[in-house]
Amino acid sequence: MPEIVNPHPERAGIADLVPELTKAAGEDFLEAVSEDDMDEIALRPGGLLAVITRLREAGFNHLLDVGGTDHHPLTPRFEISYILTAIPLGDVRDPRRLFGLKRFRLRVFPSDAEPVVPTLSDVWPSANWAEREIFDLFGVLFAGHPDLRRILNPDDWKGHPLRKDYPLRGLERRFAAGGHVGSVPPLRES
Amino acid sequence: MALNEHQPFVVTKLDEFLTWAQSSAIWPMTMGLACCAIEMMSIVSPRYDTARFGAEVFRSSPRQSDLMIVSGRVSNKMAPVLRQLYEQMPDPKWVISMGACASTGGVFDNYAITPADTFLPIDIYVPGCPPSPDALIYSLMQLRREIRAGSKTKVLAENA
Amino acid sequence: MTLDLRALESNPDLLLTPGDDRDTLILSMGPQHPSTHGVLRVMLKLDGETVISAEPEIGFLHTGIEKQAENLFWQQAITVVDRADYLAPLSNSLCFVLAAERLLDIDRQIPERARVLRVMFTELTRLASHLVWLGTHCLDLGAQSIFFYAFEMRERILSIMEFVTGARMHQSWFRIGGLAIDVPKGFLDTIDDFIGRFPDRLNDMRAIVEKNVIIVDRLVGIGKIGQQEAIDWGLTGPPLRATGIAYDVRRAHPYCDYDTYDFDVPTQTTGDCYARFVVRLDEMVQSWRIIKQARERFPGGPVVIDDRKIVPPPKTEIQHSMEALIHHFKLVSSGFNVPEGHIYQSVEGPRGEMGMYVTSAGGNKPWRVRWRPSSFYHTQALKRLAPGNLIADVVAIIGSMDPVFGDVDR
Repeated sequence: MPEIVNPHPERAGIADLVPELTKAAGEDFLEAVSEDDMDEIALRPGGLLAVITRLREAGFNHLLDVGGTDHHPLTPRFEISYILTAIPLGDVRDPRRLFGLKRFRLRVFPSDAEPVVPTLSDVWPSANWAEREIFDLFGVLFAGHPDLRRILNPDDWKGHPLRKDYPLRGLERRFAAGGHVGSVPPLRES
Repeated sequence: MALNEHQPFVVTKLDEFLTWAQSSAIWPMTMGLACCAIEMMSIVSPRYDTARFGAEVFRSSPRQSDLMIVSGRVSNKMAPVLRQLYEQMPDPKWVISMGACASTGGVFDNYAITPADTFLPIDIYVPGCPPSPDALIYSLMQLRREIRAGSKTKVLAENA
Repeated sequence: MTLDLRALESNPDLLLTPGDDRDTLILSMGPQHPSTHGVLRVMLKLDGETVISAEPEIGFLHTGIEKQAENLFWQQAITVVDRADYLAPLSNSLCFVLAAERLLDIDRQIPERARVLRVMFTELTRLASHLVWLGTHCLDLGAQSIFFYAFEMRERILSIMEFVTGARMHQSWFRIGGLAIDVPKGFLDTIDDFIGRFPDRLNDMRAIVEKNVIIVDRLVGIGKIGQQEAIDWGLTGPPLRATGIAYDVRRAHPYCDYDTYDFDVPTQTTGDCYARFVVRLDEMVQSWRIIKQARERFPGGPVVIDDRKIVPPPKTEIQHSMEALIHHFKLVSSGFNVPEGHIYQSVEGPRGEMGMYVTSAGGNKPWRVRWRPSSFYHTQALKRLAPGNLIADVVAIIGSMDPVFGDVDR
């Protein structure tokens, strides 16, 4: 095992962080779990920005991913998961300094009736498209997003495909065999 | 463009000459969509080398190409683009639907993927996921036979 | 700059930007374009040839892989998951398989032979992917010969893949519980031949491109990004390592015994296209080292765990044993159940950190497979990298970020 060099011993370890995040989330806090892969806290959208601020102060500067899950028919059905990691800056060309980087997960559960989550695109530019994708696939809105429109499906697509009540084969076939979008000329015959 | 035995000798020979010319230099369009595109790129690599068939010149502009190889899965957003590209190609033009996804939707039986023949007329379907470059070259050979013979039914009759 | 394309169709005057005292042109680059490495549309706002702003538009390859995976058994989902980042299929399957194994809690039981072969073939996949990158990136920059060198080498790797797994691409060889089949006789000679040949060929290729005056001119100083910005834009993999941060998931969060292999993590400091270029070339050398070490280890033993509830029994046993037949039947007709839970598993793909946040609801199909697509974030970074450059530089930048649109759009 390589020797672990901890460049920032003054930073709080994850265990110390969780009570602070719980306090920051306030009444929106749901639960904190230490999973196999990383620690996580679950919360409602109201506490998201406060928790993110605290996490950034603790050194979690890289937003790895923003993902969505639909737990229908359970409620709350939508889960927006944020995975963060803390990457040191400067001269970090020695990979041993990056061994065992801290990771953290936030699971945000907006309400079913009005799924709105504050945007993180002004904090991390990388969140911009990820949130658009969640809007496209799940229909969760991101308050304050500069450009919330569909990204993967065509602009006039109906429905949110990754919801559990959206059928796998979709609601309509855009290009039915037998053609319609521009007529399909027959194959050249002799 | 049928070959009619009753046509005068000169016209028949002209037909043969034209189809020989067309089939010997089929210029595909750089229409790589997904994984099949990588195998399509492999056909110009040294091992498979379509240069010997006159087909290594991949033209990016649809105006200068005569073959569209739909190489990869066609999503709902991409289909109108493909249709427009097809319409921009000058005649005579051919379309090869490469791979399972372009031919039938492949492994993906869902809302997002549509087979190519729902909006394009296809001349040759190539099975595989992805088809090996050998399979694509075989399909190119089949297309050449079809062009030379003038129609698909004639090719089938010859090979029966 | 956001562009409402529907509005543009009805009101073409929007193309002229009022209040702008330069004549700007909006050019749609793609989605069919020889140099966008796939189906990408970049709406470029140009002042002459200089890009003022760039708005990439994706979704032209959206396949619904994540939704498809929710409707397939755990073992079946490996086949669709392979097809996302189609240049590195085994990396994708490795990520999914590791996630499922951790949820099943069998990750410590995977036999050593399977782990060594997984590492060896993942590194071969990385080499194959980097060779495509090298060939196509240099082709975009105008160097056509290197495409042939790179693809010839790639053909050797794909031949090995076909020899062992039966398929050139989309092997679906990694399975939950080990591997689908063991390597055939003659594999060791084949891999030794490859290991012997590769360094010279790589050196030939490097000699052509690495210090080539045209490549250097076209790549140095283009698409420069600093460390803080790289992190803000979510970059990982070679683009992040080119800024001087040696973040490699194989070293930061080792999986499959990567902590027992001896390899470096190449970095550069300038953060421009040339740095990314050199990082990937150096990574090829490191991958070759890992393959060599894996070959030297090559332990014997089984390639699957001994749990008939997850891995089908060998065919010879099915002919004698009723129990084996029933296990096989159950596995094929209704798969196996994975305990409830969720996990984020990441691997170092050729493009960067490829991760999957897999949620299981206790059933025989995944509840949700959220892909962490490295190319998605890299393509988004074009918004930041392209402005200020010429159109030809945009081509160089796209190539240096190496996006694969199966990964971006899934």
